[in-house]
Amino acid sequence: MRSRWRRSRNDVRRLTFDVGRLTLNALAVGLIAASSVHAQTSLVIVSGIGGEAKYTKAFGQLSSALAEAAHGRAKLADTSIIWLGDTAASAAKSRWYSGLSTRVNVERVLDGLADRRDGQVVVVLIGHGSGEGPETRISLPGPDMTATDFARVLSRFGNRRVAFINLTSASGDMLPLVAAPNRVVMTATKSAFQRNESQFARFFVDALSRDGADTDKDGRISLLEAFKYAESETKRYYETGGKLATENAQMADEGQLAGRFFLNAGGGGVGAGSNARLTALYAERSAFDDQIQSLKKRKTQMTADAYDAELERLLLALARKAREIRQLERGA
Amino acid sequence: MRRGCLAICALVALCAWPHSLRAQARDSLTARLESAIAQYERGDRDSAKREFSRLINIYNARGGRLTDQELVVVAVALSYLGADEPQAFKDAMAVYDRAIAADPSNLEARVKLAELFLSKYNSADAKKTIAQVFSRNNDYVPALILEARRRDFDGEPGADSVLARALQREPENVGARVLRARFLADVEDFAGARREVDRALRANDANAEALAAGLALAVLAGDTGSNVSYGRRYKSLYPREAGAHVAVAEQLARVRQYEAAASWAREGVRIDSTNWQAHSVLGLNLLRLGEIVEARTSLETSFAGDPYNIWVKNTLDLLDTFTEYDEITHGRFRFMIEKAESRVMALYLGALADSAYATFSKRYGFSTTKPIRMEVYRSHADFSVRTVGLSGLGALGVSFGNTVAFISPAAKDAGMLNWASTAWHELAHTFTLGATDNRIPRWLSEGLSVYEERRGRRGWGQNVSPAFLQAYLDGKLLPPSRLNDGFVRPAYPQQVIFSYYQASLVCELIARDFGERALMEMLQGYRTGLSTDQVVRRVLKTDLPAFDRRFDAYMRERFGSAMNAVRDRSYLRIVATGRALLRRGDSAAAVAPLERARALFPEYGGGDGAYPHLVAALLAKGDRKRAAEVLSTMVGLGDVPYEIHVTRADLLLQTGDTAGAANALESAMFMNPYEIAEHERLAGLYTRIGERRKAIRERQAVVALNPVDRAEAYYQLAVAYRDAGATMDARRSILRALEDAPHFERAQELLLQLHEGNKP
Repeated sequence: MRSRWRRSRNDVRRLTFDVGRLTLNALAVGLIAASSVHAQTSLVIVSGIGGEAKYTKAFGQLSSALAEAAHGRAKLADTSIIWLGDTAASAAKSRWYSGLSTRVNVERVLDGLADRRDGQVVVVLIGHGSGEGPETRISLPGPDMTATDFARVLSRFGNRRVAFINLTSASGDMLPLVAAPNRVVMTATKSAFQRNESQFARFFVDALSRDGADTDKDGRISLLEAFKYAESETKRYYETGGKLATENAQMADEGQLAGRFFLNAGGGGVGAGSNARLTALYAERSAFDDQIQSLKKRKTQMTADAYDAELERLLLALARKAREIRQLERGA
Repeated sequence: MRRGCLAICALVALCAWPHSLRAQARDSLTARLESAIAQYERGDRDSAKREFSRLINIYNARGGRLTDQELVVVAVALSYLGADEPQAFKDAMAVYDRAIAADPSNLEARVKLAELFLSKYNSADAKKTIAQVFSRNNDYVPALILEARRRDFDGEPGADSVLARALQREPENVGARVLRARFLADVEDFAGARREVDRALRANDANAEALAAGLALAVLAGDTGSNVSYGRRYKSLYPREAGAHVAVAEQLARVRQYEAAASWAREGVRIDSTNWQAHSVLGLNLLRLGEIVEARTSLETSFAGDPYNIWVKNTLDLLDTFTEYDEITHGRFRFMIEKAESRVMALYLGALADSAYATFSKRYGFSTTKPIRMEVYRSHADFSVRTVGLSGLGALGVSFGNTVAFISPAAKDAGMLNWASTAWHELAHTFTLGATDNRIPRWLSEGLSVYEERRGRRGWGQNVSPAFLQAYLDGKLLPPSRLNDGFVRPAYPQQVIFSYYQASLVCELIARDFGERALMEMLQGYRTGLSTDQVVRRVLKTDLPAFDRRFDAYMRERFGSAMNAVRDRSYLRIVATGRALLRRGDSAAAVAPLERARALFPEYGGGDGAYPHLVAALLAKGDRKRAAEVLSTMVGLGDVPYEIHVTRADLLLQTGDTAGAANALESAMFMNPYEIAEHERLAGLYTRIGERRKAIRERQAVVALNPVDRAEAYYQLAVAYRDAGATMDARRSILRALEDAPHFERAQELLLQLHEGNKP
């Protein structure tokens, strides 16, 4: 991938076209606002201009796969998924495509979500990145959006849970500028100088769309799990391909939120409700969890055999408890 | 660096130097230098060094007024002093530069400077400097001799012919004769080498290098009488010199007698503890023997005395990285593999090494008492340093006998590599070397190793190519009687690789016409010290010229029709026709010419041949079954890229051949064992065909590759263990899965089942 994309005269036409789509965008924002009462997570995908057919196609496919995963696997409502892309993306006729990814539209969507004052928001940028420091940017139809722009827009979310995931090339400098409390920020590269096509992007989307990233097997994929998966697979991609790595993803996660940040914020199994037995079983299961965590911390102080024996005892107890819970939950 | 001195002396003392000194006998500095060198050689080193130092003082006092010839004298003195103070080598180079600046026509100064570069393994600067000499005098004998050495050092063609030019001009030049002796010994013509040494000694019976070479050849031949005679003479003339011991050690190492080489180098160190070359030769040979700790000590001693020896420096740098490797004991083997891939590589290497041991120990009647050390390098440059001390070696593996090294498929700089057939090849050397007490000639050792590769597994080992047949047609292949030259002193870049294959054909011919037993009898003959000529007479009951003719007939018999197709270019022309049709999208029409080309040269499965294009045409036609058949034939003809194996597995699966698909993926692992998804797929295939142990290995490989989803990998491993009835292993694996993911439902259920003794 080239390090940056130079706009052509076609952009002028895109800008013109952009104005023509404002009504639809406004409608999309209105839709989000209307459904906000029940939505716990809103996913905003911003895909930039590709410049070349292969990148346009790749950005469209990644965005579409991400939206599909959010809906199909994380069970986000259609109305909670907003994809702003370039004109070529609109041709995909995805049901989540909500309009052109112009700066105006992106700001309008994010402002609308900020106005809701509840729920968590995940913003994912896909495309070509460039620039340095505050001028780090994603190439959009019309004026680009910079790190400064995103920092300003995101500041409107105050202390709400926000994940800002920039999967573009040369995205590294954006991290410190948009990092904030209660906010997870990820960038595909560690600096503005890593300008090659980001492999991290596709592996991050893979993490959310396929099996393999749910390492704790709780049935959900946290942003931390997705990040680690993408980071690991990116490294493997370069190693097995005999290539030198040209990207290093990074994450800012004050408060260690990423491990608890899921697209399906409301998931996590059936509630105990008024079932006293289930409530008790959950508590007992939780106690075993604590014991296992405690044992793992003592691992280096024990012989391997002693550790395994104790681990097996606890895991067997936990497994029996979990089986009992599942049977009761199914009955419920 | 003592060898710095002696390497310089190789030219200085033996050929050019005495000549020039005598020519300027009245020159006082020259006379003083000559006297100091004589003192040095007699063993009175303190006096010699005092005199060398005085020459330096003269330079410091009169530097600007010294002539170019006097500056050369000072530079030579500095080279001797470099043994104690390495900085003196740098000073020597600077003084040579001054001498050249003072008189650009001083060829002697340029040759000595080039020699100094070469003695420090800096062949690039040596080459440039020699070229400057040739630009002034293309027939300057010292430069011709040095150029021959330089070409030999760089493995560049033409060393023999350049040396021949030198000898044509000065037939009795001692240095040239000794160098020719070494070249002949390199191609294992020891009788010829001895004739050269004898001639050199007739010209100068006190020449140190000639005596050392004579001693080395006598030791090699087991000629005790000459051995004692040369040794005594050398000792009486050069009582404190270890040069002869170093020469013997180097000669022994060149014919793979590493243990004896180490022994001679050790004795050299005892005679002269400041002979840094002796330390380095000792260290490098100990390294070849797998004695890493002792080797390091010797190399560090050498480097402290001579920090300019690039080979030693590179090797020490390499040894520093050994902390990044795991050492794994596996039965008779010790694997040294970089930590990043040790677990996955060891899974395959263990079984391969065991199989090789069982096969070769039985076939060659040799078994080792010491463990076989196998080193796997992820960097081609590191492997190259391990092998020849410098980067840039073209080989993929090396066997020093009980120590084997080869390149990992992860090496970014290795290109397409079948690590398993490479390891198999190197292990074959271990046994053919062992069976002959390391006396097997290079051509036969390589020939047998390639021959063993082809017998090891379908598709392994080199096969015939149009380029090889073209070389035969052009008369560029050497007859079996001179095949060693193709390895040691190739005349053109591809000759080495052609020689490997040709040597394997020689083995095939012997096995066909005289039986496998003849190959073993040949090894026994070499073990007793017979030459190739003697071995051929005794075992094959023929002489070398007749055997050469027999091989020629074999070539024509075996490859006759393919040769015709190569000669008239019909093969490549028909392939090109098929490719053009394929490119135009007319796959149906492409099949016929590609089939015709295949029939013309059915043994060639290379990328520019008929097979891959025929497969593509058949696939485009939708004929998957036939495509799979053609692809299967193709992979049986030699190494193909990883992707081809995977494609073949896909095709075979589509045609319902699960076992075949598993076999194809197994082959893929020998090219690239790092793809988690393919290991998972192969595990599934093995499970389907009931190969439970192999399914376990594949699940182990997934775990070893440290997947993101470790819990799933351990769970699947536990399932594989359970299916194979290995309950305890299953329990251990399921613990690891649940340790990562305590709420992993399927793993919890399996744990409970394992404890409850039920199967799901």
